[in-house]
Amino acid sequence: MIQGNNLSTKIGKFIIYFIVISLGLVCLLPLWNIVAISFSSGEAVAANLVGLKPVNFSTKAYEMIMEDAQFWRSFSISVQRVVIALALNLILIVLMAYPLSKTKREFKSRNIYMNIIIFAMLFSGGLIPTFIVIRNLNLLDTIWVLVLPGAVPIFSVILIMNFFVGVPKSLEEAAIIDGASPLQILFKVYIPVSLPALATVALFSIVGNWNDFMTGLIYMTQVSNYPIMTYIQSLTIDIAELVRSGTNSDALQNIAEVQNRNLNAAKIVISTIPLLLIYPFLQRYFVTGIVVGSVKE
Amino acid sequence: MIADSFKEFKPLIVLLVLTILLTACVQSSSNDGETTTEDGKTIINIGRSIGTNHKLPEGDTFEDNAYTRAAEKELDIDIRNAFEANGEDYDRQVALAISSGDLPDMMVVSREELKDLVDNDLIEDLSEVYEEHASDYIKETYATYDNRPLADATFEDSLMALSGTEALSAPQMIWIREDWLEELDLTIDEEGDRLITLDELEKVAEAFIENDPGDSGNPVGIPFASFLNAGDYGGSAFTMNSIASVFEGQPRKYLIEEDGSITYGSTSEGTKQALEVMNEWFNKGIIDPQFGTRSFDDIMALLTNGQTGILTGPWHIPDWGLSTVREMDNDARFAAYALADDEGNVNVFEQATTGRFIVVRKGYEHPEKAVQMLNLFYDVMLNTKEADMENTFPEIAEYLERGVDDSTKPFNIVILPNQKYLDDYQDVQAVLDEEMTVGEITDSQVRQNINGIIEYMETPEDALTNSWSNYHSRIVGWGLMNKLTEDDQFNWAEAAYVGNTPTMEQKQGNLTKMEEEDFIKIVTGAEPLDYFDVFVEKWQNQGGDEILDEVKEELAQ
Repeated sequence: MIQGNNLSTKIGKFIIYFIVISLGLVCLLPLWNIVAISFSSGEAVAANLVGLKPVNFSTKAYEMIMEDAQFWRSFSISVQRVVIALALNLILIVLMAYPLSKTKREFKSRNIYMNIIIFAMLFSGGLIPTFIVIRNLNLLDTIWVLVLPGAVPIFSVILIMNFFVGVPKSLEEAAIIDGASPLQILFKVYIPVSLPALATVALFSIVGNWNDFMTGLIYMTQVSNYPIMTYIQSLTIDIAELVRSGTNSDALQNIAEVQNRNLNAAKIVISTIPLLLIYPFLQRYFVTGIVVGSVKE
Repeated sequence: MIADSFKEFKPLIVLLVLTILLTACVQSSSNDGETTTEDGKTIINIGRSIGTNHKLPEGDTFEDNAYTRAAEKELDIDIRNAFEANGEDYDRQVALAISSGDLPDMMVVSREELKDLVDNDLIEDLSEVYEEHASDYIKETYATYDNRPLADATFEDSLMALSGTEALSAPQMIWIREDWLEELDLTIDEEGDRLITLDELEKVAEAFIENDPGDSGNPVGIPFASFLNAGDYGGSAFTMNSIASVFEGQPRKYLIEEDGSITYGSTSEGTKQALEVMNEWFNKGIIDPQFGTRSFDDIMALLTNGQTGILTGPWHIPDWGLSTVREMDNDARFAAYALADDEGNVNVFEQATTGRFIVVRKGYEHPEKAVQMLNLFYDVMLNTKEADMENTFPEIAEYLERGVDDSTKPFNIVILPNQKYLDDYQDVQAVLDEEMTVGEITDSQVRQNINGIIEYMETPEDALTNSWSNYHSRIVGWGLMNKLTEDDQFNWAEAAYVGNTPTMEQKQGNLTKMEEEDFIKIVTGAEPLDYFDVFVEKWQNQGGDEILDEVKEELAQ
């Protein structure tokens, strides 16, 4: 490759770096501001004094969270949920995507199943019928209500299915010649070459399950069963809205006490940490495990 | 060929049959129909509206705490939570319960939900149990409002719900930094009647902007929230309601005029005059130049920074809004005044007297338990003196000490006599004058407050911010209300309280938005004052007239 070393390339590079770095900062600074707020004292935050550096450094917000039993209960519910959901999602996605990746000649009723899942992806029963179903199944207030309704993420199934379709046919044929059963083909051939795609859907599953607060809000009837994001959501109430709707003085006072912005910031920081930790582990799969080089034509 | 396609569908059919079988198996509902526990206690499933910051001691929950245990012991019941949630989330749970046809035995609902429930015949008639079981104190409490809370829960002569109350109407107050007034040697309110005029307010604001007593380097005038008006006393923080009331305008209120007609306060001549003053002030810089774009948090920041020292708001704003000011500046003190009109009167609208409602599911066997709980929580516990509290309800005495809030009670509503705060103020004063001891005060909450007040009065510098807040809301805020009541300065406007009419539900949102936007335009001078007449016309044509008709119709009933 020829690397130009004249002025115009340098300027071009400078402009590109400038744009990339400023876009990066635009994404990063608000997050950093939240971190700074979480380490500042309440009155400094209320006075809008905190920018990128904590003002009147204080860890009081974090100490308060440490004492909040419900926060940690919710945290562990969310961790359980993510683990169960991830395992369930990956198993079901793979088991569903593999047969669907076969042609109609190999798998006769493929298109019927395909149409059903696409229909289910586009249309749902609506909130109240779903709620009634869940209630009648006695799933309210169990961990399963957080996991089962979303156990088969159709979008991810289609993604993996298309990835399987793209896997060279000769790989499978080679395995058949070696006497592998369909299950062996799936687990020994398809999955190892599909790790980047699986890492992607795993990330979808983790992030989606961790961040989802709506399911908890609807199907959990007791606060003690709230997952973490639902709990945080229930605490961060817009005091202006409450004041406008004329809540009584005691309620306002109670909310003002938990409503200080640095406490909320600290909760947001703590609740993002798990995702920040998981990402680097998954990232290596995006680089390795590529199909290229597995077959020689 | 046919056989082939059947084969294709076979797994589907099997699946379908299986699903039907499965659902048939688990048809039983979560409410498994148990009504008594093994030891003979009545089970009550309650929809619980809860608060955010409950301060419950370790191990206690909303379902099992000192209040529920006391109720279980006194009334022989077993309280279970059908669901618990706060704010909007609670409303959603109630909506889900109503639409899925699985009501808890008792729950707290809004006026609109109550109407729905009555229309669909889903709740029990409580007339008889109320008459038979309600204590005299509870009945007297409702009587202090001329029984309006009961009338609001009565449909075709049947009492369908037990009402919460909204205690006391009051003027929106002007809170001014007292330490700054002293620093600049400003005297307002020379007569000491706690009343000020618009001119006096303007002068103070000018002096604050000129001298910057907060040393902020960038003083701004009086901050107002962009929504500018509130139709509810509790929501009147940073609004211009008190300025409008000087001209007898009561924005955001549906009012009953002396001739019996219904008007909307925002379209009144008084509101127009108030907007004129606001516009004038905006041009002079008396009002925050960035008015309209500041968020609620930004306004709080102005106060905390010392950029401004004047605000409008309800008596309880020191409790939840101003504490950061004190935390930032230990010497900060506020004085509260009311704005008076030319004749020296304070114009106030009457607050709705009814809060939310307790309803009992149709067919529930023990509706009397709801009334008995009312007696226990809003009569017996409220009227137990300190000394007896330790013996009768030791756990609850401890809760009060910790400041555990009311949402831990089975019903998160308030039932207090009208003018309660004035009585409380007199109790507090009596203790400060040493005519009474703290132990003699019946209301446990007031007992808590007074300790803070005494702490602040003895050592203002070292007192906790909580005590600072208690002093400001109870002594300064209630004190102003008490003074004005004693001097008989109030001029009441009768408000038409009807909840939501059908047109309101459809159009109120848009009308309010239009009102907010047009008022901002007038105040900032983007439109001339005469634009107000255009607004009035728009308001009438876009649904306002229909609303007035509906309000009138509903009041006639």
